Amino acid sequence: MTAPAAAPLSDKTASRVASVEELRIHFDTKAGRLHAVDGVSFDIFDGESLGLVGETGCGKSVTARSFLRLIPVPPGTYAGGRIHFWSKEARQTGGSPVDLLQVPASQMRDIRGNRIAMIFQDPGKALNPALSIREQVAEVFYQHRSEDLLDGWNGTPPRPIRRAAGQRSGKLEWLAFKVPPLRSPARRLRKRVDDLVGDALAETQIPNPRKIMTSYPHELSGGMKQRVMIAQALACNPDLLIADEPTTALDVTIQARIMELIRELQLRHQTSVLYISHDLSLVRRICDRIAVMYAGRIAEIGQTRHVFHDPLHPYTRGLLAAIPSLAHQRGELAVIDGTVPELIDPQPACRFHTRCSYATDLCGRLDPPLVARPGLRPVACHGYASPDELGVAADQLPRLDRDAP
Amino acid sequence: MVEAAARRPPASSPSGPLAIRVRRFGEITKEVLRNPTTTIGLVIIASLLLMALMAPIITEANTPDAYQMPRDWGAINEPPGTPGHLLGTTSTGGDVLYGVVWGARTSLRLSVIVVGITMVVGTIMGSIAGFIGGKVDEIIMRLVDVLLAIPELIFALAIAAVLGPSFGNIIFALTVVFWVKYARIIRGQIIHVKHNEYVDSARVIGDSKLNIYRKDVLPNSVTPVVVQATLDMGNIVLVAATLSFIGLAEAGLAEWGVLVSEGQAGISAGRWWASTIPGAMVFLWALAFNLFGDGLRDVLDPRTEGR
Repeated sequence: MTAPAAAPLSDKTASRVASVEELRIHFDTKAGRLHAVDGVSFDIFDGESLGLVGETGCGKSVTARSFLRLIPVPPGTYAGGRIHFWSKEARQTGGSPVDLLQVPASQMRDIRGNRIAMIFQDPGKALNPALSIREQVAEVFYQHRSEDLLDGWNGTPPRPIRRAAGQRSGKLEWLAFKVPPLRSPARRLRKRVDDLVGDALAETQIPNPRKIMTSYPHELSGGMKQRVMIAQALACNPDLLIADEPTTALDVTIQARIMELIRELQLRHQTSVLYISHDLSLVRRICDRIAVMYAGRIAEIGQTRHVFHDPLHPYTRGLLAAIPSLAHQRGELAVIDGTVPELIDPQPACRFHTRCSYATDLCGRLDPPLVARPGLRPVACHGYASPDELGVAADQLPRLDRDAP
Repeated sequence: MVEAAARRPPASSPSGPLAIRVRRFGEITKEVLRNPTTTIGLVIIASLLLMALMAPIITEANTPDAYQMPRDWGAINEPPGTPGHLLGTTSTGGDVLYGVVWGARTSLRLSVIVVGITMVVGTIMGSIAGFIGGKVDEIIMRLVDVLLAIPELIFALAIAAVLGPSFGNIIFALTVVFWVKYARIIRGQIIHVKHNEYVDSARVIGDSKLNIYRKDVLPNSVTPVVVQATLDMGNIVLVAATLSFIGLAEAGLAEWGVLVSEGQAGISAGRWWASTIPGAMVFLWALAFNLFGDGLRDVLDPRTEGR
């Protein structure tokens, strides 16, 4: 694999699947340049599930989509940063990562669906209504596993069959598959595809996978469609699965089951998962670590239980306080006052300072970087900085009362 | 994996995707036929096609060119019901029944050729414009705009007039005029469809652009083209009849527009049949395809449902 010169890597390299460094994604709008993602950095470790949480418009989906270069350019621009990605081989041999933002298109196609897979928000929209479930799941095998499809032949399969396994057959060849001598090898290939697709579907615990295979998306329920999406995503056993709010469009009762399914398959396949969600209570159940995003920046990142028990960033505290709980029924729901700031040509300031009850003058002048200070996990807030670090007087720093979130 | 495989039921269903397509076709047909006006349209279309196919059986083909009206100078201006001339004759001894029957054949040939070519050309041009976008899109669509700015009848008239009166030139003129509609429809559809999440989903699998177009974009875009093609099967005959009525087809051609123009002089003298009957055929043809096309749209295009 060719990789553009990578930045100096830390010792943890071997166990990382992906590492986002100072990612910046901008969109040109009529009103100006929108900094949707503005200097985001985080790592995804092997086998872990990382939750990227934040409210609508904070840039979490844009971050996730940039892993597969799905941002439309224009109006979008990859304005800076890197997304390093280590495939299974690279991790085992200690090889160097590729920069997903730089790899050539042909290599990107090989990564998509094979190394990095993605599940979309609305399974109703993410399946092609004109193709049967079999055809849609089989597509992954045709793209990335054509050699698997030709497993177990005595000698080399006929050339047309090899072409068919890579979905490169023309119309006339398909006609030839209906008559001898190609009919029986074509049937064999077909059966092989059926078996692989059936297995992939069965793994998602979809009832009656052989019957589902011949169905069309409109004949399935939302939960079943999402299972099909998961089957498609995990068919090639990817290193990284990106789940962009995979349960938002589903019934609450189905949500939990789909989440459990993703968790179960993740553990079985040793896949890393990047989980995008705005639903903290769901994320809490299945993510090992959580990164809280706000207005194109990461506010705080850490182990799920740490973030939930001891939120550091004022925004995280507000978010957690806003989760309705059965303990205090009635009563008003907690909200964070104010709205998300304009992301068009942002000023150097803490993005949250207009809504933060702890904010001082300093927060309006200086953008807090995401740094890990001794004894603390990474958090982007001046409240954790020492006066010396910023070269200001101690009373200029916001005073966060750490006992009362 | 083992337990998953065990849960799987025995592979019993022999129905492949093809079987499903056939089944879906059956469903669509059933739904189309539920609407009585569509059924009427379909029945008329079927009878017209049957008539066109059986033309040599119903009437004896003229030699050497069957599409030329036979002339019976011994029977001029005979009213309908005359033995040997069931629908009467024209002022030049042409048998109206012969014109009606072979005119259906002419119309069928015309509409199949024109719709076939324009649909393919329009789909290709519209696909290139919509799928590639950018400058290519601009160039193609400006050309389409220019062609659309000129009324189709006038434009076809101009082309046919320049090339000289012949039915082949009418076909050519209509082809030049009618493809733009398809280009426009398919471009709009493709731009709409290509922003669907399943297209992203196909990209995420690692599919190539051409494959995405072939499997994800085009199949989900063609429905309105099919509907438009059905409607155009009717419209084209109407426009062609207009062009031949004003004399842009060869004289004596077994074509409804030509017959109407041949018979129009006799209307004031009470000889209504020579122009009214072929005129009614044009009407029936256009009506039938419009009824059927509308019904087809109701079934295929969910957005117009309940309208």
